Amino acid sequence: MLLTEVQSLDIISVNIWQILISLINLLLLFLIIKKFLFKPVQNMLAKRKASIDADYEEAAEMKKAAAESEKAWNMKLEGAQAASDAIIDEAKRSAKHRSDEIIAAANDKAAGIIRRAENDAELEKKKAQATIRDEIIDVSTMLTEKMLSREINEEDHRELISSFIDGIGEDDGHDS
Amino acid sequence: MELAIGIILGCCALGAGIAMIAGIGPGIGEGSAVAKACEAIGRQPESKSAVTSTLIMGCAIAETTGIYALVIAILLIFVAPNIFIKALVNAKNSGLF
Amino acid sequence: MEVKKKKDLKFILTDILLLIGMLLPIAAGLVLKVLTEPASEGISITGANVYFTIKMPIQDLPISEAQVNSVIVVLSVFFLCLFLTHGIKERPDSIRQHIAEYIVEQVSSLVSGNMGERFSMFAPFVAAIMGISVFSSLLTLVGLFPPTSDINITAGWAILVFILITHYKLKCGPIYYLKGFAEPIPLFAPLNVIGEIATPVSMAFRHYGNVLSGSVISVLVAAALQGLSAKLLSWLPGALAGFPLFQIGLPAVLSIYFDVFSGCLQAFIFAMLTMLYISNGFPEEDYIARQRRKDEKKRRAMAIQAKLDAKN
Repeated sequence: MLLTEVQSLDIISVNIWQILISLINLLLLFLIIKKFLFKPVQNMLAKRKASIDADYEEAAEMKKAAAESEKAWNMKLEGAQAASDAIIDEAKRSAKHRSDEIIAAANDKAAGIIRRAENDAELEKKKAQATIRDEIIDVSTMLTEKMLSREINEEDHRELISSFIDGIGEDDGHDS
Repeated sequence: MELAIGIILGCCALGAGIAMIAGIGPGIGEGSAVAKACEAIGRQPESKSAVTSTLIMGCAIAETTGIYALVIAILLIFVAPNIFIKALVNAKNSGLF
Repeated sequence: MEVKKKKDLKFILTDILLLIGMLLPIAAGLVLKVLTEPASEGISITGANVYFTIKMPIQDLPISEAQVNSVIVVLSVFFLCLFLTHGIKERPDSIRQHIAEYIVEQVSSLVSGNMGERFSMFAPFVAAIMGISVFSSLLTLVGLFPPTSDINITAGWAILVFILITHYKLKCGPIYYLKGFAEPIPLFAPLNVIGEIATPVSMAFRHYGNVLSGSVISVLVAAALQGLSAKLLSWLPGALAGFPLFQIGLPAVLSIYFDVFSGCLQAFIFAMLTMLYISNGFPEEDYIARQRRKDEKKRRAMAIQAKLDAKN
């Protein structure tokens, strides 16, 4: 059976041309893979890398710009803070001024009211003093009349007591 | 003639069997390699993949002698009898004996 | 809108054409095999079938299955490359572009990891070795003769690798290369020469032997199972008697081990050994020294040029 198989090679049959052909096949496949698989993929990867780098650069630039604008905004914000502080200060000052004025006016008014009340009280006091003095004079005159049981010159007597009470009143006024 | 062919076939088969004694070597070698690899993995389980790939690589190279023996055995069984019998027939036809 | 649709149609048509280009060689190989299959009964373990023979000076060139199938592999890989990189974009929107990028990046990192950055131009070569080896071994899955189980094919690759190794060894200078043979003592020169020649021989035989042993064992197991089922089921009536019951299952498992696993592993090992031998043939220190020499030479040449310019 083995002898009749003319159509196939032995299981090991070295042939220099076959070796050469397979060598050339491998070289050919190397060139094919280099040209049609590695080159496009590597080109594409390089392109992708470039575009990613560009994206990163852009992002960095944008970040920088954002930082700058933030700085500007911060500065502006600080200015606004100062302005608002000034406004508030101004408002506070004017309010204080106004309140001072109002208080002063109120104080004045109160002082006026107190003064008037004091005057009234003084007046009342004086009036009361005068009334009480008259009463006392009347009563003492009457008492003296009764005690002395004699008719004295009412006019003289009255004058005498009045001067006496005046003296007391003056004494009282000095004491108080 | 039949005796000669019988001797050729028998000796080829015998030679193939003797050639395959070389299969012992890679067997022992690969066994010890796998044992060491198991030890290594047991000691450092995190390096399992590296040990496994190195092991497969080493086993495949250690197998080389076994493969040589196998090639010789295959030659002796499938190729050598053809050549020898052809040579014998040629010798007989040319009247050597 | 109309233009875009037209473009898409063109794209799809190109895709289909590339797929046909990828599958047509395999189909043609199958047809050729079916047409020329020699009638054989029982176990037949032989080499490749010969289609015709060309008269050549030293030795006749038989155009065998192995040759045809390796050309089929080259054609298929060529169309596969075109298919993978067809419509490649910066922003990937297809799986095949991911596959293409994955292959390129993996092979590049493997090469630069094992050989160093100075050999990064070897990535396509390693990819070619892996691709041709894997696809040659996997041709058994469609029923074709695997070119890797022909010694001539693997010997061709190994000789190409040997040429590259020698080329890189000679880059350090021919005297340095010859001195390498008398390494420990000059007495060892013959052994070193044998060791040098053993490199391509062992590479070729390793790959060939692994694939061939797989197919031999597969054939033997299949024949044994057929015989077993014929013996055990012969009492059944009619066509059932010849039914190869035991051939279901086990050959498939063997095929997965011997064809897929072993084929891929041998391809990887072949590529790995290529990388290691080539990078060992031209060590890093030598490379740096050579670069320095080159730079010095260039500088000297430039100095001479400058002097000449000054004179003029």
